[in-house]
Amino acid sequence: MSEPFAPRVPRRFVGGYRPRIDALEKASGRARYADDVTTRERFPNLLHARVLRSPHPHARIRGLDLSRAAALPGVVDILTYADPEVAALKPTSAGWTDGVDTVSYERMMWRRFRDRRVLGDRVHWVGDEAGVVVAAESEAAAEEALRQIVVDWEVLPFVLDPYEAMRPGAPAVHPEVAPGNVLPADEVGGADVFLDKGDALGALEEAEVVVAGTSVYHNANQGALENWTCLARWEGDTLTVWSNSYEADQTRMHLSQMLEIPLSRVRVISHYVGGQFGRNDTGDQPFFVFTALLARRTGRPVKFRHSRREAFHDSRQPIIYEGRLGARRDGTITALCLKGTGNVGAYADHSVFALKFAPAEVAEVCFAHIPNVRMEAYGVYTNKLPGCMMRGVGNSQLNLILGHLVDLLAERLGLDPLDLAVRNFGHRQEALPDASLKAVLEAGARRIGWRDKRHAPGAGPESPGERRRGVGFSFHPGWHAEWQELRRGEIQVSLRLNPDGTVLLDAPTVETGTGSNTCNVLGCAEALGFLGITPEDITWVAVVDTERGLKDTVQTDSSVSFLQSEALVDAARELKARVLAAAARQWQADPADLDVAGGRIFRRDAPEAGVDFRAVLWQGDLVPIVVTTSRLPAAEETGVPYLAAFAEVEVDTGTGRIEVLELVVVNDCGTVMYASGAEAQQIGGQCAGVGETLTEEIIYDRGTGVPLNFNWIDYHIPTLPDMPHITPVLLEEWRGAGEYGACGIGEGVLTCTPRAILNAVYQAIGVRLDEIPLTPQKVLAALGKA
Amino acid sequence: MAEAAKRAGAPGDWSAGPICRLRVNGRTHELTVGRDLEPGTTLGYVLRERLGLTGLKLACDEGACGACTVIMDGKAVLSCLVLAMAAEGHEIVTVEGLGADDAVVQAFAAQCEPGFGTALQCGYCTPGFVMTARALLDRQPRPGPAAVAEALGGNICRCGCYAGIARAVQHAAAGDLGASP
Repeated sequence: MSEPFAPRVPRRFVGGYRPRIDALEKASGRARYADDVTTRERFPNLLHARVLRSPHPHARIRGLDLSRAAALPGVVDILTYADPEVAALKPTSAGWTDGVDTVSYERMMWRRFRDRRVLGDRVHWVGDEAGVVVAAESEAAAEEALRQIVVDWEVLPFVLDPYEAMRPGAPAVHPEVAPGNVLPADEVGGADVFLDKGDALGALEEAEVVVAGTSVYHNANQGALENWTCLARWEGDTLTVWSNSYEADQTRMHLSQMLEIPLSRVRVISHYVGGQFGRNDTGDQPFFVFTALLARRTGRPVKFRHSRREAFHDSRQPIIYEGRLGARRDGTITALCLKGTGNVGAYADHSVFALKFAPAEVAEVCFAHIPNVRMEAYGVYTNKLPGCMMRGVGNSQLNLILGHLVDLLAERLGLDPLDLAVRNFGHRQEALPDASLKAVLEAGARRIGWRDKRHAPGAGPESPGERRRGVGFSFHPGWHAEWQELRRGEIQVSLRLNPDGTVLLDAPTVETGTGSNTCNVLGCAEALGFLGITPEDITWVAVVDTERGLKDTVQTDSSVSFLQSEALVDAARELKARVLAAAARQWQADPADLDVAGGRIFRRDAPEAGVDFRAVLWQGDLVPIVVTTSRLPAAEETGVPYLAAFAEVEVDTGTGRIEVLELVVVNDCGTVMYASGAEAQQIGGQCAGVGETLTEEIIYDRGTGVPLNFNWIDYHIPTLPDMPHITPVLLEEWRGAGEYGACGIGEGVLTCTPRAILNAVYQAIGVRLDEIPLTPQKVLAALGKA
Repeated sequence: MAEAAKRAGAPGDWSAGPICRLRVNGRTHELTVGRDLEPGTTLGYVLRERLGLTGLKLACDEGACGACTVIMDGKAVLSCLVLAMAAEGHEIVTVEGLGADDAVVQAFAAQCEPGFGTALQCGYCTPGFVMTARALLDRQPRPGPAAVAEALGGNICRCGCYAGIARAVQHAAAGDLGASP
């Protein structure tokens, strides 16, 4: 049953249930996305670019015959690896930054792994961008030209499996970076054993109870509906790019440094974006560079966009975890060992973020009270599509083993796994038990009916036919509290108060669906409470344009919703002073003698005789009051809140089919900035969570390395009839820094879903399954029926 | 005009002339075959790129996601799977043809009933859902939850707003707009 969230601190706007500010614009089809603003209708002389895709998992181009392609009608230009402007490009990575900040080439996050060439002559997976791109009058003409290009391929041996790739003599995917295919230690991720606290191996030897388990997380696709699109146009020596990059400032940096032109000569414009989900790493995509080069060569606007098949160009980082927990019989965990092996695929991109960086963060905020912890990870190149960022990067994979080990150990000790979790896990700033973890587990247990429904594995009351029911859970630390966002640098917002009392809010961030725009407007109205205005008085600038002057706060880390609102608190304070100064000039008073509340400016010694601020401004110079704030996120280390998922499933032991009956998703938010939006994230995240657990998987032909289901018919994303009933639960137990003390939740909402479902399946059938997606075949095999 | 009459009687028989006439949102558009479209051009492409009706989205372009849904003669169709020339002689409605006061549009925009989230987030799939739901309600004014799930089962919302969407369709059918609590 739905129990609306009740805020800890009642506020006028922040925390409310209300429609999104862009809801009518989007529902009526008026919202504009990159593909909508780059139509032929708007750019009549545009050219379309299409890039050659590799048919081989590993090969080198020995030579090209372009003659037939170049002669086709409609073909305007063909750019290849042999052209000097391409050959001169620096080697790069599609992961300069983890998205939160703007990073230069020299300081790119994975500078040890610059394994990509723009239009290189080597290809590393079937579907890889190969060394030729065609610009033509239509996409069809460009595609026909690609078919007419004769490529002399030197086909090289390939490898798909990470364990095979680690063996001596395996084909080397990027010998210059990793001769043995295992990514070397680097400045950001650290060594293979990236965390070694106490003596974990020794403690395991001495532990009274030890459990060991494995988990296999596959390569799900982000599946944003909008495909990557960009249009590049040069006017003189200035490049303008319209795109659905969700980090405009970083895309500008990327183009500036790759093309060696000043930042002031690159303008990047992003409209609404049709879903992010970690899609495409960052704005450092090679196609921006070749599209810009083609536009410069042809003197015409050039548009490049992915087809749906091409949108399968990276995935969640697959990770196989082997884990062990050691404990005393009383349930105190004494040792944790985790070893992750990741199939990096063809390019390193953000794999090490998922394999080392994110798990190290989790250790800090979740394993702090376990005395002996050893974590190691190996990123292994293969000739599959690259693994990288997807919603909850690294955390979803880690949770699949964490929730497994906790459930295993609790069973071995005869404890309720909820009690075991509360007894051992928490962040370093707080003593155990962690109040936030306790709160989310209690709330979830109550909503799912944990105590009543829990039974011995495989021994529940029988449902009709061969069906068995079970309940399971998993928990995880949240992340993206404000102190964790310091690496972003300063957050920039601007307020413009018009003399009629309306407000233009420039809080630049590319709106990818997260609802942070509504949070911004609510935060702005809240902070400007002294003016007595409402969200309806505020216009939010939807288009991010680097020429507007402020850096965009990037839609990663699920944290834009509160970071910008915190900056708006400062901006509003300054705006208040400016309003009072304007009134003081008019009234020939000392600003210190004036105040404003509820929209009325008054003398402090005569508060009852106020004047509406609009009337005051209207009598002034009619120049809008503009305030721009640039400030760092709060550095105060406040720990993090927790989240959990509880699942009830019904398994048909005759067919192996799993039906998820109910999901309870619990997030401690610190402060809920926008309740409807937060619930939408909680419910919505389950589309990917349920999909990744049950149906979504990229399938390869092992003999050829060809991916077989880069489409949405064979790669099944859940739709309405596939979804279980979902109960979203919002809590405010933990508190972060600043005015609101909020925490991002958008990524975490699906982190616990796969393991909660797997643990519920174990309860239902009494057999543990460690690998997702949990297909009926796997269930039947586990039951000895297949 | 004689040519139009001749062709109107035989949709698909485009050998009679180089003009394709599309009836969209109550207006007739004349498109030149060979210039504005080819025999293989889809309706979705023409609506977006030639008529500027960019509400519908081409997300998969192969009939798997529903983002390009429009209503043709009262039925929801995937405009990425309909050839533009085959749409001649049919009445087409896109999301732009509904207007902002349409009950389905309003209900999708208004959804914030606690426990169900919103009916849209990134919004890319939304026009497709709206048109699918509009066609359902035109045919079946008070569908039950199963009928809604069945009708909308071909539309993907990767933001996963299915609970809010189902709620919005019910509100649109009931004629109330899920007002805030």
